[in-house]
Amino acid sequence: MKTIDFFVNGTEVSVTCSPSKTLLDVLREDAGLTGSKECCGKGECGSCTVSMNGLPVCSCLVLAGQVHGENVITVEGIGTPENMDPVQQAFMDEGATQCGYCTPGLIVSARSYLNSIGHLPGLDEIKQALGGNLCRCTGYTKILKAVQTAAQSQLTFRDL
Amino acid sequence: MYASEIDMLSPRSLLECLYLLENEKASFRLLAGGTDAVVRMKEGKWQHDYWLNLKNIDELKFITIEKDEIHIGPLTTHSEIISSPLLQDHADVLVQACREVGAAQMQNMGTIGGNIGTASPAGDTIPALFALGAIIELTSITGKRQVSAEDFFVGPGKTVAFPNEIITKISFKVRGKHDIGLFQKLGPRKAQSISIVNVAISLSMKEGTKECLGGRIAFGSVGPTVLRAKKCEAMLTLGELSPDMISNISSVAWKEVMPISDIRASASYRRDMASALLERGLYRLIKRWADNERKPF
Repeated sequence: MKTIDFFVNGTEVSVTCSPSKTLLDVLREDAGLTGSKECCGKGECGSCTVSMNGLPVCSCLVLAGQVHGENVITVEGIGTPENMDPVQQAFMDEGATQCGYCTPGLIVSARSYLNSIGHLPGLDEIKQALGGNLCRCTGYTKILKAVQTAAQSQLTFRDL
Repeated sequence: MYASEIDMLSPRSLLECLYLLENEKASFRLLAGGTDAVVRMKEGKWQHDYWLNLKNIDELKFITIEKDEIHIGPLTTHSEIISSPLLQDHADVLVQACREVGAAQMQNMGTIGGNIGTASPAGDTIPALFALGAIIELTSITGKRQVSAEDFFVGPGKTVAFPNEIITKISFKVRGKHDIGLFQKLGPRKAQSISIVNVAISLSMKEGTKECLGGRIAFGSVGPTVLRAKKCEAMLTLGELSPDMISNISSVAWKEVMPISDIRASASYRRDMASALLERGLYRLIKRWADNERKPF
């Protein structure tokens, strides 16, 4: 057992657990943030994507012992039901969610990607950025549309 | 032992890490990005007492240029390689290979040292390092040694590194203006896939012509380790790399590879695709070269 201190959604948390526990389990069980989902557990599907120091990573492959002092943002830290992020709003508006299991990962990936660019991304660029997130229900058309809409509204907002 | 009970040591410096490697009696495994290691732990393939977490060793994260050599620290992630202007200019084949690793999440986590240490025959950065003629530096508490990338791998998951050694540097010569490189990968889908076949090509061209002065070709995922295609390489310098010549070179590629049939593809398909990928790669590379020179040959 080790005590690990790190930041989740801007708040410092301190958890005592085995250093080989995955970040995903720490977030879900110790921090009570059940937004990130476990699906494949091998880094193939992206359901567990969280942003670590601004970069999307698969939290199912990050071990607790490696996150000491790091800054983790989960889907809960991106927006709230009352005050949604443009990406979340766009997913709602475009109907880009069906069963919802992949959605938290997609939102985190999309948010990290839109944070890292300053232009309106093309379809291929979005596909590349979201390549590590699989969705098995809706197909990707609406998801890609939602990210385009979010990028557009973000740029419009910036220009105001 | 349950996977989650494995303890972790996080050395803060290279020296501390080397000391642990030398003196630790309990079984341990190195942990860098975790994209392979943690999966193996979860599958129960690895049952060791300790993780040796390398992530905090900042002195193993660097991309530098010294005279005519580029040095990359083993803890450099694929994303860092992709976004390095230095490597974009001087090691395009490696940058392209890193772009083909997994998807964004894997590129942010995975390290080049981890890709080398895992020694998968399908590792995407390894053919690129073969093509660049890279040298891998291994360090133990007693000293350092340099091993060329080609001599480093002995089989799937097996390298010449001893248990008390870690990779501390990857170096290769700066590429000149007439050196061009390309990485091609065939996978079941575009993102997040393991190579069925991949090829890295690096050519030194004669200015203003389509003649090649020499080059290296390395295939991945078609043998127990990454393989250099020396017969194909020898043919590169026979004459102008016209479409006919490229087709001739590629038709030899199947002799160079020794693939197995596995869950991803059959051996005969891999053999055919090795030729196809090489032909496509050489064709694209020569087209790019000709376009950049903007002269009709």
